Amino acid sequence: MQLSFKTGKPVYLQIVDQVKAAAASGAARPGDPLPSIRPLAEELRINRNTIAKAYTELESQGIIETIPGKGCFIRANSSPYKKEVRMKLLAQAVDDAVVQAHHLQVPKTDFLELTEQRFEAFAQQRDRAARG
Amino acid sequence: MSADTPTIEIRDLVRRFGRTDAVEGLNLRVEPGRCYGFFGRNGAGKTTTIKCLLNLLRPTSGTVRVFGLDPRRDEVAVKSRLAYVPDNVAFYPWMTVRETLDYFASFRATWNQDTEGALLSQFRLDLGQKTTHLSKGQRTQLALITAICPEPELLVLDEPTSGLDPIVRREFIQTVIGAYQDGDPGRRTVFVSTHLISEFEGLIDEFTIIERGKAVLSLDADSARERYQKIYARFAAEPAALDLPGARVLRQRGREFEVLVNGSSVDVMERLKARSPEALTTESLTLEEIFVTTLQPGAVVA
Repeated sequence: MQLSFKTGKPVYLQIVDQVKAAAASGAARPGDPLPSIRPLAEELRINRNTIAKAYTELESQGIIETIPGKGCFIRANSSPYKKEVRMKLLAQAVDDAVVQAHHLQVPKTDFLELTEQRFEAFAQQRDRAARG
Repeated sequence: MSADTPTIEIRDLVRRFGRTDAVEGLNLRVEPGRCYGFFGRNGAGKTTTIKCLLNLLRPTSGTVRVFGLDPRRDEVAVKSRLAYVPDNVAFYPWMTVRETLDYFASFRATWNQDTEGALLSQFRLDLGQKTTHLSKGQRTQLALITAICPEPELLVLDEPTSGLDPIVRREFIQTVIGAYQDGDPGRRTVFVSTHLISEFEGLIDEFTIIERGKAVLSLDADSARERYQKIYARFAAEPAALDLPGARVLRQRGREFEVLVNGSSVDVMERLKARSPEALTTESLTLEEIFVTTLQPGAVVA
């Protein structure tokens, strides 16, 4: 896990995003355990509350589940939210990307092509991970 | 202590020495379960403030409350629930490590033997060694053990890692996160006064910067890093006068431009974008850089 104090993004959100990315790419598969809070906090030298906050957020988003006494695990690919809610959440991320594209002067067609490529790349990574 | 009682509450604290006010109206509040950083230059009033928390000094005016109690009136009640690690730990030099631990344990209602054993082996301290023969790092490790084993609700650290090598410093922070933060989060509060802000950055939830006895900035770490940004822009040609309210120019050289913003990054970014820069990036300041820039407004942040 790579954390940065320079991005302006709260550390707990960085953790949330990295776990989500790992789940999306297949680097972390359903049923895979997440590191325990204490050792992870010690290793990264960050406050345990920060990790706990990230795990709580991941659980409320349906990315992970907690099994009492056993720990936290990646959930199978199902979100508890209705589709319209999920689309709305995704729209926020898409908005960020569109704004970035504007700053970086990337035109719409290139942006859409890049999106296709990224979906493809993630799918390939998932296949590779599944094949082991 | 109810859930609403702050672990530490300081209101309009003034502490005078002769004709000088070492602390001149300090306000500060630490909620239970937080890791609170207390940053300031040498002589800013940090140690004086901490001594008022511990009833080593009496306030000239203002109030200090720990767990909602007055450290002066309820000294034992307050001290039994906290532990203090100063930068120069004093042990009885003839006592061995084992005797020192037993001595400290004798004052405490609780002493976690398992934690003691785990930390002793982690730090590889020799129980039979006299404290006078311990290195500075080992003395700090021993002090940390005596502070953590009673499982106090508040851990007060005053420059705990000064003069220690980087490996010992890292281990110190890992031990605070590991062994101390065990247990009910609402009953594990850390108050750390330090110059080594970058090392404690991951640990800190919230902080106060004190200068000349007064708080100049109190903020939570995430908000601070979000607000304080360094924006870099490069234009195709040297830009005509740029009007960027709220931004402090760090560097302007030909086509390149670097500014510091505090909360106005969105507005400044928009204004820069309107001039069609070739490159435009933004980066947060670390807590240490925020410290430098707050106390030295003219300083160029690296």
